[in-house]
Amino acid sequence: MKYLVLETHPAYAILLDQTGRFVKAANRHYQVGETVQNVLELRDVPGKSHIRLYRRLSSGLAAAAACFCLVYFGYYRPNFTAYGTVRMQINPDVEMTISKTEKVLDLEGLNEDGRNLVSDYEYQGKDREQASEELIQLAMEMGYLTEGGTVAFTLDSEDSGWLQAEEEKTLEQMEERFGETIVIQIGPMAEEEPIRAEEEVEVVIPLPTQTETPTPAETAAPTPVWTAPPATPEPVYPPETDDDDDDDGDDDREDDNDDWEDDGPEEDDD
Amino acid sequence: MQRMKNTEHEIVEMVYAAKTDTAAADLLIQKYLGFIRAEMVKAVRRPQNGYEDEESIAMFAFYEAILNYEKGRGAFLSYAARAIRSRLIDYYRKEWRHRNLISLDEPFAGEEEDASRKDTLADGRDEYLDYVNREAGQKEIREFEEKLREFGLCFSDVADNCPKQKRTLEACARVLEYARENPQILDQLLRSGRLPIGELAAGTGTDRKTMERHRKYLVAILLAFTNGYEIIRGHLCQMDPGREA
Repeated sequence: MKYLVLETHPAYAILLDQTGRFVKAANRHYQVGETVQNVLELRDVPGKSHIRLYRRLSSGLAAAAACFCLVYFGYYRPNFTAYGTVRMQINPDVEMTISKTEKVLDLEGLNEDGRNLVSDYEYQGKDREQASEELIQLAMEMGYLTEGGTVAFTLDSEDSGWLQAEEEKTLEQMEERFGETIVIQIGPMAEEEPIRAEEEVEVVIPLPTQTETPTPAETAAPTPVWTAPPATPEPVYPPETDDDDDDDGDDDREDDNDDWEDDGPEEDDD
Repeated sequence: MQRMKNTEHEIVEMVYAAKTDTAAADLLIQKYLGFIRAEMVKAVRRPQNGYEDEESIAMFAFYEAILNYEKGRGAFLSYAARAIRSRLIDYYRKEWRHRNLISLDEPFAGEEEDASRKDTLADGRDEYLDYVNREAGQKEIREFEEKLREFGLCFSDVADNCPKQKRTLEACARVLEYARENPQILDQLLRSGRLPIGELAAGTGTDRKTMERHRKYLVAILLAFTNGYEIIRGHLCQMDPGREA
């Protein structure tokens, strides 16, 4: 392609090519009227520069980040983050950890039979329904569960709405599958021991006489009505007697005095 | 050399003025010649012919920067420095292999441009012809420029208005072809000083909007085919209307 030099400036020249294009190009010592060849034409689109490239890159990055977020929050998290637990009790006691989308993420035995049951069981890639079904069948095969037996499902999650839905689904699915031969229940099995060791209940029988027992805590009970203490962890103490600091030998409890302040643990000054 | 340091604001103002004012652009480039040379030296490799070619490119890059710069792109001089560096790197990439083949005695049958360089420099007679041609061309071009001025145009306007897309360029070539076949249109152009877009649209089926958008270019190209511009016309031997079969 040949170019006719029409006009020159120190920094550029205006050329005419053979197809009728008028272009601005680098002035490589051109003279008007000259015909030249290797020309360096003006880059046409204003905006097509490094900035545009950066903008393309950054919008590309933003798109990539958005995709990642979409995949992470849309797929990975709901499928691979623990969302709740499903405890299955027959005799073996097992617990699976599941994701929001019911994928089984973990499975462990809570008692020896439970550990036995799950030891060779592959839970990867299975969901709650499938794992539950298979574990029940396995339990039957291993002799832990017989006709008329009960399987108790206890579910837990921070998300109570989801939890409720999962409970319903579990019940429905397991009953449909096993309902004719097995009893499915939602909620933990009844305990063998009537009272759990955690709660310590003190039954204290009050005596009408004064007893000098230290009172480490205050339970302001101004009226002398003694009832059988409730089975709560809070200890109940015998009635206080004259523990205020005046010398009138009178305890002021009977005063309907609302301004009576608790000053902290009272000292025994006897 | 005393260098007057301008604030960024002043520089940007000058740049924006230079975008549309040819003289202002030339002045601005002249003013920053030292800067341009300094940036060039940073980017240059082994100079073979002194810095002549590199200097042309560096100055051109600065000019390009003036035309393309926008306020959101950071400081103008940084932008211009990047432009200079970028252009010089491109130049080296393209030209480097040619530079190594400058030896004139080696026969390079395949290299067209080296062959012509050999011819031009070895043959004094061709040099004279070139000179004569150039002089004639210059005269004609000056007349053409004068004609354009009558129509309120200059080469810079025409170059800026020239279609970039092949499709549009071909449409304009069709318009020209139609005008050449219907010389009364060219007469009308010369008489009225206006482009008869209506007639051209009707005659060629070209979109009016396209012709409006490239009015300056069309005037110039049509004028080139009115009397007196043989050299220019002779040069325009590849105007292809690109008609679809």
